[in-house]
Amino acid sequence: MDIAAAYILGKLIGAGLAMIGAIGAGAGIGIVASGAVQAMGRNPDATGTVQTNMILGIAFAEAVAIYCLVVALLILFAIPMPA
Amino acid sequence: MTEKPKQKVWGRWVVLAAILVGIYLFYVAKIPYIMPGVFLPAEKVFEIAGFPITNTLIALFFVDLIVLALAFGVKRAIASGKNILTGFSGAIEALVDMLYSMTEGTAGKWAKAIFPWFVTIMLLVLVANWMEMIPGIETVGLIEPAPAGEHGEFTTTQIGPFTGIMKPLSEEGELVKFVPYVRVVSTDLNFTLAIALVVVVMIQVYGIRSQGLAYFSKFWNTGTMFTKPIFGVIDFGVGLLEIVSEFSKVLSFAFRLFGNIFAGSVLLFVIGSLVPVFAQSIFYLLEFFVGAIQAFVFGLLATTFMAQATQGHGGEHHEEAHA
Amino acid sequence: MEALGINPGFLLVQIVNLVIAYVVISKWIVGPVMGMLEKRRETIAQGLEDARVAAEARANAEKDAQKIVAEAQAKAGAVVREATERAEVAARDVKISAEAEAKKAAAKALAGVEEERSRILGDIRGQVAALAIAATQKLVGDALDEKRQRSLLDEFFAGVKSGKVQVLEGAQISGQSAEVTSALPLTADEQASVKKDVLAKSGAAEVAFRVDPSILGGLVIRVGDKVMDGSVAGKLEGLRANLR
Repeated sequence: MDIAAAYILGKLIGAGLAMIGAIGAGAGIGIVASGAVQAMGRNPDATGTVQTNMILGIAFAEAVAIYCLVVALLILFAIPMPA
Repeated sequence: MTEKPKQKVWGRWVVLAAILVGIYLFYVAKIPYIMPGVFLPAEKVFEIAGFPITNTLIALFFVDLIVLALAFGVKRAIASGKNILTGFSGAIEALVDMLYSMTEGTAGKWAKAIFPWFVTIMLLVLVANWMEMIPGIETVGLIEPAPAGEHGEFTTTQIGPFTGIMKPLSEEGELVKFVPYVRVVSTDLNFTLAIALVVVVMIQVYGIRSQGLAYFSKFWNTGTMFTKPIFGVIDFGVGLLEIVSEFSKVLSFAFRLFGNIFAGSVLLFVIGSLVPVFAQSIFYLLEFFVGAIQAFVFGLLATTFMAQATQGHGGEHHEEAHA
Repeated sequence: MEALGINPGFLLVQIVNLVIAYVVISKWIVGPVMGMLEKRRETIAQGLEDARVAAEARANAEKDAQKIVAEAQAKAGAVVREATERAEVAARDVKISAEAEAKKAAAKALAGVEEERSRILGDIRGQVAALAIAATQKLVGDALDEKRQRSLLDEFFAGVKSGKVQVLEGAQISGQSAEVTSALPLTADEQASVKKDVLAKSGAAEVAFRVDPSILGGLVIRVGDKVMDGSVAGKLEGLRANLR
């Protein structure tokens, strides 16, 4: 296997593996939304506050997935091919 | 709704006709269509006095025009002394009203100072994101010869009167890359990073304005170092982590918006290349919501962080540590 | 960084652009809209305040009106009650006096009538007796003397024969009060003898005398709930019943 092929192969596999971290974020967002919907169902008057806090919570959970994305993008685009 | 049923029926026929034309063009006449290529940096379209103008800068220009027009419209509508705003101005007023009640809930007495940032970020990002909906943006552009070593993955072929761009099946043809004239500005990291940097700087500014130098005790916490031997050290470590969290705020702000919108663009390209007819429309709806939600989240998070900075530290650590 | 498209020049452009947008938006959108919202809120608050004041004024007016009405009603009620009371008292007085007067007048009239009647009947008695005697004399001649005839007539009218009340012969009566009815008023002697007899026989405490020409002659004595009919009319009635 020549170096160029190995470089491309490793880059693609690495980026794919980096995005595994998004699993946690996805599960976390699901948990946040589930709790928020339950809270809104029990106390419809608090919908506004719950929604705001739900969006905040989702954003914090999403941050983890975004770090994964950053790493994946860096792997894909920022690693120069060895000479 | 009931007074213009004719227009509704007319609209349906247009959609159906568009679908039929699409089916004819792509499946009967076999018009070639652009395959997706992922280019992270914005592409240069032309130069003015040595300064390269990228396609995202062109989009930014349009965004600024729209925001300026909206702002001018609102200003003129209010200056005219009308009590009730209509049209776009009314929508902006309703948005501002809603956002302000939200800001008041989180920021309290600092709401008036923080609020303009919320509106600015929200409007700017919203307009930028929704530009993706305009036909022609990201689909009309130049075909440039690909420099060696870059992602020149297409070849041009002559099909009837059209020049098609296709993935190379064989080695014939010249390697090219497709450069749209206008590319959504949110898919440029410079845009998102600029907003994130300004927001994080403003967070520090509001923190210092509200608490003075005591704000920095959040980062350099030696107050309990000697009174509580073990926990003091932990507090000091937490303070250092706060510094890291400020930088991670920049990163998460910038890449959240960029990632969502860029992924949306790529998704639209991929769907368009798989099913060229109609399927994209459904994903346009999705992008519409994602664009609105990301704009709102960006503004809301900025407001919340600024409000937290004005309220001092104590109990807010875990939220900031995760951001 | 360059691979991700981050470029200091572009970054600077974006930051400057953002700051310009911030200035424009806070000057042209946030300021005016907040001012308008503030004005609207004030207008609404003012309106609510006005409405509250008006409502208060109305409530006060209503309360006053209610008070006035209640006072008027109370006054009217008092007046009506007083009038009613006064009227009742007056009416009672009038009624009482009228009744008393009427009773008095009636009693007086009754007494007068009774007296007159008794007097007239007493006057008639003598004439009737004289007529009867004259008629009898015409029929039977002078078989009876004047004195004997008179006693017979007296006996007829008074039902008293030689100082004894004929009706009471062999009758068993008793009672608290007795009433003696005669066709013509009895003389004082007759009254006394009848009274004595009745009292002795019945043990009654009092005897009242009445005059009723319709019994023609004799006496009807009522003691308690018993009636002894010794009248000529009663006898004629019995005779008629027997003949039939």
